[in-house]
Amino acid sequence: MSGADPAGGSRGPRPIAWIEQRLNLTEIFSFLTNFGVFPAELDTRKPLREAIHEALDRPIPSYARWPRVLGILSLMLLAVLAVTGVMLAFYYQPTPSEAYESSTILVRDVTFGWFVHQVHGWASHALLFVLLLRLGRFFFQTLYRPPRELIWMVGLLAFLAATHADLTGRLLGWSGQGYWTTVRAVEILYDLPVLGGLFAFVVGGPGIDSLVLTRFYLMHILVLPAALTGLLYLGSAGVRRVGLSGAPEGGAGRAAYAVYLHDLMILALLTVGALVTLATLLPAPFDQPADPLVTPRGARPPWYLLASYGFMEAFPGWFPRWARGLLVEAALVCALLLPFLDRPGKEGRRVRTARILAAAAIAAWLTFTWYGWRLEAGP
Amino acid sequence: MNPAAVLALAASAAALPAGEGGAASLCGLCHPDVRVQYETSIHRSEEISCVSCHGGDPSAGDVAGAHGRGFRGRVRRAGIPDLCASCHADAGIMRPYNLPTDQLALYRTSAHGRLLARGDDRAAVCTDCHGAHDIRSARDPSSRVHSLNVPQTCARCHSDASLRAAFGHLGDPYADFAASVHGEALLRRGNLSAPDCSRCHGAHGAAPPGMGDVDKVCGQCHQTARYWFRTGPHATAMAREGMSECASCHGHHATAAAPVSLLETACSGCHAAGTAPLELASRMKTLYDGAGEEIETARALVDKAARVPLYVEDYRARLQEADTSLIESLPTMHSLDLSRVEHLTARARSIGREVQAEVNGKLGDRAWRRLGLAAFWFYLLVTVAILARRRRRWAGGGGR
Repeated sequence: MSGADPAGGSRGPRPIAWIEQRLNLTEIFSFLTNFGVFPAELDTRKPLREAIHEALDRPIPSYARWPRVLGILSLMLLAVLAVTGVMLAFYYQPTPSEAYESSTILVRDVTFGWFVHQVHGWASHALLFVLLLRLGRFFFQTLYRPPRELIWMVGLLAFLAATHADLTGRLLGWSGQGYWTTVRAVEILYDLPVLGGLFAFVVGGPGIDSLVLTRFYLMHILVLPAALTGLLYLGSAGVRRVGLSGAPEGGAGRAAYAVYLHDLMILALLTVGALVTLATLLPAPFDQPADPLVTPRGARPPWYLLASYGFMEAFPGWFPRWARGLLVEAALVCALLLPFLDRPGKEGRRVRTARILAAAAIAAWLTFTWYGWRLEAGP
Repeated sequence: MNPAAVLALAASAAALPAGEGGAASLCGLCHPDVRVQYETSIHRSEEISCVSCHGGDPSAGDVAGAHGRGFRGRVRRAGIPDLCASCHADAGIMRPYNLPTDQLALYRTSAHGRLLARGDDRAAVCTDCHGAHDIRSARDPSSRVHSLNVPQTCARCHSDASLRAAFGHLGDPYADFAASVHGEALLRRGNLSAPDCSRCHGAHGAAPPGMGDVDKVCGQCHQTARYWFRTGPHATAMAREGMSECASCHGHHATAAAPVSLLETACSGCHAAGTAPLELASRMKTLYDGAGEEIETARALVDKAARVPLYVEDYRARLQEADTSLIESLPTMHSLDLSRVEHLTARARSIGREVQAEVNGKLGDRAWRRLGLAAFWFYLLVTVAILARRRRRWAGGGGR
């Protein structure tokens, strides 16, 4: 098939053959495989059509079988965020004097601007939720144990990158709540030894000014999305190497893959449906422009930082803040290095013990989140 | 007095702050309570000493010496205004303080001053309002004559039941004032732009404003109301009938915030039912009520839209514009010129209606959004159903 004359030998329609003479379409298509969209390895030396046919004869990997969709769902949400984000960037102007006004014009005057804006916001919430749910699944099913250490670490880093993307996005609208949420979040970050200093180096100081807005904008539209994409790719690569579930592999052949494709399409449709519904029925309220001298009621750190905030504030006053920050960082490092801390013993630690620990950790997280929420008055 | 006692006195005098009239003053040794009061006064910080008013020798160590040379002792009430004026009416002395020097002249024209001139010691003199030894700057909030404290200071005499009975004054002006819109603003909210007693009656020249002067007094603040009043027929008619211009409808000490409903009650005091003036009043009230209702309806709609949430800041700004027109229109009623009232209330009303229409439009868009969402879900579910069916067929081995 591969033969000396690909144009003549290929069974594909002529335009595809023409392109394949000049570009390796299989290699390009295998990009989807790398992100786990097409769940089978492709032989990139072969023409696309042949490579796919060959791949379809192999069984569907177990990680790609319904209802194990959190990974692919996070990818879909990232795609939605990218598309809506680009649309928002057509109108948004990242300077303190224009940020609020341009966001308002975008939401109030631009046709369907409100819709794109709200879908972007809800997709961000959904992505954080899905990434957290995925971490929860790894945690409860002890999927961080060898050989899946890297999958866990990459998943956690992806969640952290997503929270930072969310945080930087909150400032961009330059609204009162967004501005003060950022201020509160940055206060927590500055209390962290080393990481706080690193953050200060990147952002340029504790004040939230026009340069911070520019830097947050750059982080939000370039650095963090790239990091997130890279981490999702790494996660997918890890999953393809070591697998993720104990379920058996699926069937092989065109039918099995068609079923899988239909599952994906239905999932994508329902995801879009959920986002559209949330954006239409529960849009975020309009807010006043940011005033650095007036803190609005209920200006809290974002929800994913509430636990850290509550934890930091739960100590008596004499306990130095850097030490509290160090404890938060210790918890973060423990979470990151969990695969190496929770090594099963020789006889193999029981999964039940790990689950009890997981439940305790989540209960502590929820308790501190609740405590952090309670620290601020207002809605 | 033995030498040891004199030495002890001299030692304690040296311990006192210097600067009371240049030489160390020993008056406080026998008058410690007066000295304590004096220490808080503006005269203390300006180094006006005991002898400036009382005479005598502040450096003498014994009573006979201190109360000797030029000692005036306790000042007679009737002599107090002239004593204070010996400095305060002297332009040369007052110039560095930038204080007025006309207080004595004004005082002599006041009801207080004329009463005192008739030999009535009950008349208020300088010290009754300003204090004697503990006089403070009128800008000092703890001063008796600071704007916030003036009503209480006047009330010490003017709300005193026996004094009121003696002078045949009816009513308690302080109680009336405290309940009034002015008293509420000044005493409860501390609003220093609200008038105290002296803003209407004068301070040193205090006297009740005469008939025909009330509109000038009220008009110092309520300028537009006065302007429109003077263009209307009430100004000449009330002057002819000897009626108090503003107070006839609004009262004086107890003047309340003027609601539009005053048009229903105040006019019928003079005008008979069914006459043209009452008809005019009711038409003006209808105009005000109509504009107010349109604005309130619009405001409620804007609040509803804000909860949706829709962007409503523009509408809020326009409602403020409508409020301004309505507020602007209120004083024009004093002209009794319906067309003027109509002009401004119509503006307020039309802004209110415009905002209502636009917000209703936006709320209507919202209904369309929901309808669109329902249609979207219909097509989405149809698509999902088709996909699910195709999926089942593939799963069942049916293929395409």
